[in-house]
Amino acid sequence: MRRKNAINAVLAASLLAAAVLSGCSSGGNSGVTEIEILQYKPEAATYFQKVEDEFNAAHDNIHLTISSPNDASTIMRTRFVREDYPDIIGIGGDINYSYYVDADILADVSDYAGLADINEAYIDILEGLEIVPTEGTYGVPYVANAAGILYNRDMFEEHGWEIPQTWDELISLCGEIQEEGILPFYFGFRDTWTCLAPWNALAVCLAPADTCKQVNAGETTFTAEYRETAEKCLELVSYGPDDPFAYGYNDACTAFANGDSAMYPIGSYAVPQILSVNPDMNIDSFPLPASNDTAENTLNSGVDLMFCVTAECENKEAAYEVLDFLLADENIQAYIDDQNAVPCKTGEFKLASQLDGMLPFIESGNMTDYQDHYYPSEMAADALIQTFLINQNVDEFLNTFDTNWQRYNRDIIRQVQEYEEANNTAE
Amino acid sequence: MKKLNDSKRTYMLITIPILALFVCFNTIPLIRGVFYSFTNFKGFGSYDWVGFRNYIDLFTDSRIGGSYLFTIKLAITATIITNVVSLILALGLNSSIKGKTFLRAAYFIPNVLGALVVGYIFQYFFTYILPGLGNALGIEALSSSMLSNSSTAWFSIVIVCAWQSIAMNTIIYISGIQTVPEDVYEAGDLDGATGWKKFRHLTFPLIIPFFTINMVLCVKNFLMVFDQIVAMTSGGPEQSTESISYLIYKNGLSGGSFGYQSANAVVFFIVIVAISVAQMTISGKKEEQL
Amino acid sequence: MYEKMKAKVNWPVTILLFIGLITVAFPLYMTIVIAFKQPSEMTNSISGILSLPNSWSLSNFAQAMELTDFWRSLGTSLMVTAAAVILSLLIHSLMGYAVGRNKAHSKWYNFVYLFIVSGMFVPFAILMMPLAKQTAEMHLDNWFGVILLYVVFYMPMNLLLYSGYLVNIPVALEEAARVDGATTWRTFWRIIFPIMKPMHATVAVITALAVWNDVMTPLIIMSGKGTNTLPLAQLTFQTQFGTNYNLAFASYLLALIPIIIFYVLCQKQIINGVVNGAVK
Repeated sequence: MRRKNAINAVLAASLLAAAVLSGCSSGGNSGVTEIEILQYKPEAATYFQKVEDEFNAAHDNIHLTISSPNDASTIMRTRFVREDYPDIIGIGGDINYSYYVDADILADVSDYAGLADINEAYIDILEGLEIVPTEGTYGVPYVANAAGILYNRDMFEEHGWEIPQTWDELISLCGEIQEEGILPFYFGFRDTWTCLAPWNALAVCLAPADTCKQVNAGETTFTAEYRETAEKCLELVSYGPDDPFAYGYNDACTAFANGDSAMYPIGSYAVPQILSVNPDMNIDSFPLPASNDTAENTLNSGVDLMFCVTAECENKEAAYEVLDFLLADENIQAYIDDQNAVPCKTGEFKLASQLDGMLPFIESGNMTDYQDHYYPSEMAADALIQTFLINQNVDEFLNTFDTNWQRYNRDIIRQVQEYEEANNTAE
Repeated sequence: MKKLNDSKRTYMLITIPILALFVCFNTIPLIRGVFYSFTNFKGFGSYDWVGFRNYIDLFTDSRIGGSYLFTIKLAITATIITNVVSLILALGLNSSIKGKTFLRAAYFIPNVLGALVVGYIFQYFFTYILPGLGNALGIEALSSSMLSNSSTAWFSIVIVCAWQSIAMNTIIYISGIQTVPEDVYEAGDLDGATGWKKFRHLTFPLIIPFFTINMVLCVKNFLMVFDQIVAMTSGGPEQSTESISYLIYKNGLSGGSFGYQSANAVVFFIVIVAISVAQMTISGKKEEQL
Repeated sequence: MYEKMKAKVNWPVTILLFIGLITVAFPLYMTIVIAFKQPSEMTNSISGILSLPNSWSLSNFAQAMELTDFWRSLGTSLMVTAAAVILSLLIHSLMGYAVGRNKAHSKWYNFVYLFIVSGMFVPFAILMMPLAKQTAEMHLDNWFGVILLYVVFYMPMNLLLYSGYLVNIPVALEEAARVDGATTWRTFWRIIFPIMKPMHATVAVITALAVWNDVMTPLIIMSGKGTNTLPLAQLTFQTQFGTNYNLAFASYLLALIPIIIFYVLCQKQIINGVVNGAVK
């Protein structure tokens, strides 16, 4: 009998422990509007913690909570499924945004005054991401990133190499670098997503910005639009290490940081990882000149973080006040210093020196969104590109890309075509 | 007679609430999941009923086919390697050796290391160390990374999976060998049984229930392999190491085809249950024979 | 006889086992070395990665502890793991007994057995979304819900283990107790539960390990609310575009210690259990 009691006690204790752990976390207070932001960049958690503290110190009527959880995308999905929406979400400008707009999760923020200060190019990028043209604006772009080629500035100065302006110049530069016994590029293609970096940078120059939408509307095929991109991508890889598929993103960053190659085709987002290995490295970047016609060359840049007010948000005024605070110049400057990002707001900001070579393009607004922001992630375009770079069969790849696209975008294509039909009959 | 009824009632009273708990948090969500497999649900927002479209698509999707082939190949190979090695290890760790506690703890470590550590270390091993060794020894086959070649990448996943699961299987075998009463060996000693014979005729028949458990656990764990894929290859090269669970998770939850991948999960579930029931029936028959 | 066997050390096996240890020691060595290095000491050459760190500074560990809010996360992890393991041992052994003793001669119990065991093969991904919704509806989106889910998730495997072990326990023991007038309920707690000690240890190790390392369940059930467990907190070292392996490895080493201690304690139980329970 004693043993039984002991067991019951243990059982009760463990249930109690569980109950205590679950705790109660309701913060009921009167007259104060609660605003919750859920943003997807845990690496910027310290910055957002600071913003939250400063905001709450300066406001009595609004209480702001910013959560920057690890694996925020899964958390967002589970919160959506239980219909427990945060007031504002911080997400990237990719196909998930398209889905959220389509699912009516987000609110129209076109009445938000702060939009006037946002670089028009980025608003257009968001417009472009909508599956079918939708009335209104559904996000406030905050910061962007850019992809192209990172290069070792000291190495370039030492050898007197010039920044290439055209494709031919880039290829002859690669030849020159090779002659010096230096590897022109490093790649980390074992991590399949890195295959998209050179791919996107080439595609923005060589294919129409709205290729994917044209394909969805049945106006063209990838076989027609992506051939040059595919061929040039293969050519770039030939200037990389012998077996680029053996190395991961991290290996490539380390190799580039240690001076194993002169250039690294990747995005500005890789700079912190490279600097962690070699803090003194002198890195600069330039847009990948994919075309010989300089007028066609454009910088590959997309929205890295934007804020969207959800349709469920009860107090839009308060949400806008929070956005105003986030968009204050000094806060944006603090963010871009911290995260090496490009601001989406117009105005005088001081950018990281690693972006010097991209500055003219940013200032003139000559920027085009990543093509892969239109690819559904389940299609695994990155893996298709990796397969292609291993097999080197252009025709087969383009064919696969087209058939896979039709398979994975079936619902979207139907939606687009229904929309087109409806609008054509209306005219 | 009264006593018998009493014990029957007790068994029922134990079983019913626990079964109810299980149904509530396993069966009901599963049924909800099966429901989604007939829709084009993305994981959020609205969705349409699509009937059997997802199921029909599954059978025409070569990527799904490839993932089944890879997963089954991996599960069979890794199960064999793991069971052979852990049985040997369990016998070794159970014999009269020096430093038993230390050795048992040390061999347990692989099981505790997280996926990130294992992924990083083995990536490093396959990318740099093994080719380095291959070059030094002049072995052509090893001189390039196993992970960048679609005909060898699957085997490096097998190695990692086996390396991690051997620990757990060894524990189960050890606790199995512990149930073998000492007098069985004493009787064996009198008969002059030694080494392999002793194992084959005395130890092994008595630990068959544990062998069954290990086989089932291995097949289950390896068919559901996920962490190792994420950490090592993210499905590459050439999509040759995309496991079924990896596809379900990546496309269903991170991507937007929750409905489709739910259908995949349902089919997958049926396949594993069929395999496991067959496995348990076969070893159950063996148990009875012995 | 037993004493005599114990006295004689089997040296060839001992030596072989120590040699085999290289397969464990090498990755562990790499983990430790990386945990002490600075990011700037990371290289892509074999000699570079195998070399010892420039200094044996504990700064990585200190920083990792700060970033993961170590003591609080550790506390949460310990509480959750302890609660899940204790509940599993009690509930699953009971279920293993009820089902294991009856499944051979009763269709119903055999069905229950197969029904629950086949739950092991449900891919977690298909359950995630429905469970996230269901737990929220039932107001179980808290640690209590997470623990409850663990008890359900590991029930199939533990049922398999317990009922497998039960095969080797003679029914005669219980019958003797019944003749003395004990109820089935009492017989289980007084006779069967103690005898299953080696299996308890095994189940405890397996369940504890699974719970200790689990990320997905708290992630989707808690959705970022409440304190993190250690594995959840450790996700902070991996971001979209960069991984700090040095801090991550330091943190992993710290999280390894409690579970190894637990394992060593359980191992003793497996061995002692047999000496005590030597069934005659």
